[in-house]
Amino acid sequence: MTDTNVSARVVESVCPYCGVGCALSWVVDTGRNRIVEARGRDGAANAGRLCVKGRYGFDYTTHAHRLTRPLIRREDAYPKGALSWDDRGPRRPGGPVDPETVLPHFREATWEEALERVAGSLAGIRDRDGGDALAGFGSAKGSNEEAYLFQKLVRAGFGTNNVDHCTRLCHASSVAALLEGIGSGGVTNIVRDIARADVALITGCNPTENHPVAATFMKQAAAGGTELLVVNTRRPAIADHAAMYVEIRPGTDVAFYNAMMHVIIREGLVDEAFIAERTEGYEALRDNVAAYPPEAVAELCGVSAERITEAARLFGRARAAMLFWGMGISQHTHGTDNARCLIALAMITGNTGRAGTGLHPLRGQNNVQGASDAGLIPMMYPDYQKVADPEARARFEAFWGRPLSPSPGRTVTEITDGALEGAIRGMYILGENPFVSDPDVEKVRKALARLDFLVVQDIFLTETAEFADVILPGSAFAEKTGTFTNTDRRVQVGRQALQPPGEARQDWHIIRDIAERMGLPMDYPDVAAVFDEFAGCTNSYASLSHAVLGSRGRWYPCPDPEHSEGEPIVFQETFPRGRALLVPAQPSPPVEPTDPEYPLVLNTGRVLEHWHTGTMTRRSRALHAISPEGFVEMHPDDAAAYGIGDRDWAAVTSRRGTIRVRARVDDRVARGSVFIPMHFREACANVLTHPAVDPYGKIPAFKYCAVRVERVAVEASA
Amino acid sequence: MSDSVSVTIDGRSVTVPAGTSLWDAARELGIDIPVLCHSPRMRPVGVCRMCVVDTGARNLQAACVRPCEEGMEVRTDSDRVVRNRRMLLELLMADYPDPSAREASTGDDELLALARAYGVTSSRFEGSRTPEAPRRDASSPVIAVDHQACILCDRCIRGCNELQHNHVMTRSGKGATTRIAFDLDVPMGESTCVSCGECQAVCPTGALTNRALEGLHLVEEETP
Repeated sequence: MTDTNVSARVVESVCPYCGVGCALSWVVDTGRNRIVEARGRDGAANAGRLCVKGRYGFDYTTHAHRLTRPLIRREDAYPKGALSWDDRGPRRPGGPVDPETVLPHFREATWEEALERVAGSLAGIRDRDGGDALAGFGSAKGSNEEAYLFQKLVRAGFGTNNVDHCTRLCHASSVAALLEGIGSGGVTNIVRDIARADVALITGCNPTENHPVAATFMKQAAAGGTELLVVNTRRPAIADHAAMYVEIRPGTDVAFYNAMMHVIIREGLVDEAFIAERTEGYEALRDNVAAYPPEAVAELCGVSAERITEAARLFGRARAAMLFWGMGISQHTHGTDNARCLIALAMITGNTGRAGTGLHPLRGQNNVQGASDAGLIPMMYPDYQKVADPEARARFEAFWGRPLSPSPGRTVTEITDGALEGAIRGMYILGENPFVSDPDVEKVRKALARLDFLVVQDIFLTETAEFADVILPGSAFAEKTGTFTNTDRRVQVGRQALQPPGEARQDWHIIRDIAERMGLPMDYPDVAAVFDEFAGCTNSYASLSHAVLGSRGRWYPCPDPEHSEGEPIVFQETFPRGRALLVPAQPSPPVEPTDPEYPLVLNTGRVLEHWHTGTMTRRSRALHAISPEGFVEMHPDDAAAYGIGDRDWAAVTSRRGTIRVRARVDDRVARGSVFIPMHFREACANVLTHPAVDPYGKIPAFKYCAVRVERVAVEASA
Repeated sequence: MSDSVSVTIDGRSVTVPAGTSLWDAARELGIDIPVLCHSPRMRPVGVCRMCVVDTGARNLQAACVRPCEEGMEVRTDSDRVVRNRRMLLELLMADYPDPSAREASTGDDELLALARAYGVTSSRFEGSRTPEAPRRDASSPVIAVDHQACILCDRCIRGCNELQHNHVMTRSGKGATTRIAFDLDVPMGESTCVSCGECQAVCPTGALTNRALEGLHLVEEETP
């Protein structure tokens, strides 16, 4: 036998990828400090199931590209610019940033030198230009503890509320609408409650690819009799299991849902008792939707009046109906209005507070819920206490022992604008990659290059790190312990399975060391103590601790964690704001309508095998093998009209740039639309996207901009 | 009809809700009835017959699908039952590959574990694989298929269709050439498989295994 004997240890943790939060065990080869297998555990969210990313996509942790020592930019590597950006394109094989093109511009440094440089530079800008000249991007991939410490450092150490993270790019508009409508941004019912729903509206999301294990429970519910009403602009695979699939034109959500509500009200399918007891603003909503009979919006939405009526009846007649939505609702300049419509739809039909009902915005990142709960957003302290509220500010000033800025900070896209204008001079970016994830990357490139000082803390050299003055090697998910809050509000402990490579350090230690050098002591014996401090300044987490969370976790709120799993359904009697506020919405035109020069609507999103900017998944052998390159998906009729065949190279151009990418001809995308996944830097969808944002949630319109597609000839790769 | 029934299993009584299977009732008593096709995560199908028990009826009954009946007296380990299981194991082992990919890597091949437990070290039967059926399918980047190790327990099919609801896997062929198949019997890597790995995770034998573990032999440390 030539087999290699492996002494294996089993560590109970959770999946590092999406918001579903699957419980798993890692089989760890302790001798070689690597994970060899992932096994599903009987978690509250997954019942032993995993998807391709969780089961096979953990090997990025031990990829040769891992950062292992602090790096400082060489003197001759200024002025700053993108270093690897030109190695993209059709003649190059796809893949993540190659360190060989970037590392020559940096030199290795000791932790002492790197931390001194970081703290000295950030403190220098703070003392010279004021705290508001600094900003921080945290990450929804980090733990609650990391998010809490990061925002504490920015608020109490930098002296600004300019702290944000990728929630701005995913559900900020949903959260804005939920806070306005019911007073809480969390989901009201857990995913698996769909088993008890008669009807589930699944809109603006593609769960089989983006929340694969949650999708298995949706499909299971459908097999058990729950009727799925799937509404989308691009046919998601879950539509195969639907009682009714409705394809609407991009950006017409408000008109469509207003018309559905019109029918529900006209036909008496409303829950009058619920409206009377639990809501306010019904008259204004009713008067608003009166102007949207299905006949009036049919042409705009591209759906017949009969189909709209049928969808309204299906939803309105259900005894228990549940709503799931994703980025197709939120990532628009009218994303908040879209979410307002869904909230109103649930409320007028009495669909919250019971089994099989409720509002469930499917969270994308594994800890986007928790990072927001921990205050990693510019207008809120932990637990959504407003920075503009003098009482909340006084509380946190006393708690943290520092004066705090009274003004809400800048959001992700506003921080980019601030850097371009010169108002933001220094940044700390932990685990985010805005150079690929944010809209209009050419603008992001200029903004990042203008900063006086940028420190990037990550596990790989990202496109963003190429603009850094100092790069700090952090730890991967499996190399640290912390808590993560999934889309169901389930707080679960991710446990350390591996040691960070080389001199890489745990991220919370790095935050602490920077804070202490900037005059903000962070003296915690361990990460559980960080959790305790965070939980202590919230109501939602107050009863929880690492010890009580154990291997199964708890849903918050959880008043009695010793005897209860927590609350799978909330707001059964009342909403945090008392009555739900029904907010009328009017359709708004797209920021960038199509025209003869740019005749197609670009929609962006994800694929099953990859995660966001691909820094992890493109370094996983299996995931890269299954999904090695980007594509532009076109309807066969459009492809024929532009003379493009399947797998031909195409140039996709918007007013902001051009990318080259292979065509995938498929009728799951509607005529007049194209779809490009966001993961592939060499075919970077966000070169094309429009930076316009929703006025309330400040979320960019990733789902809508105008492009044209042309066939290009490309010689075979060298 | 009463809501609960009482049965006696190996001389011990238990009262369970009506409709409970003998296998679940035995588990309540802490009696493990061996299975290959059944898993508590799945709908019982009774195809492997390893869980047969003696209820005094003319035939042995598959405990995973046989509901308890009031007053039933059940033996899970009589000579007749054990003889039956040995015969089944000997038949299943007839053309079983050595080594099994699962046994070689994670050491948890359930068929081999049962064969050891029942003292089945060799088989009096010869395999009957038809030579034209390709034995291995390495077209998936993550899962290795070895049809020779497949015992047609249908765990993978239920995992694919009833847990993950992907509806990729099925049975194809008939008689001795029956085998698991993907879509309309195309190689796994060319099928609509989404590589969730449920089939590989639930497979009790070396038929569906994790390719990343090829060449490794895991020895698990004691978990505290």
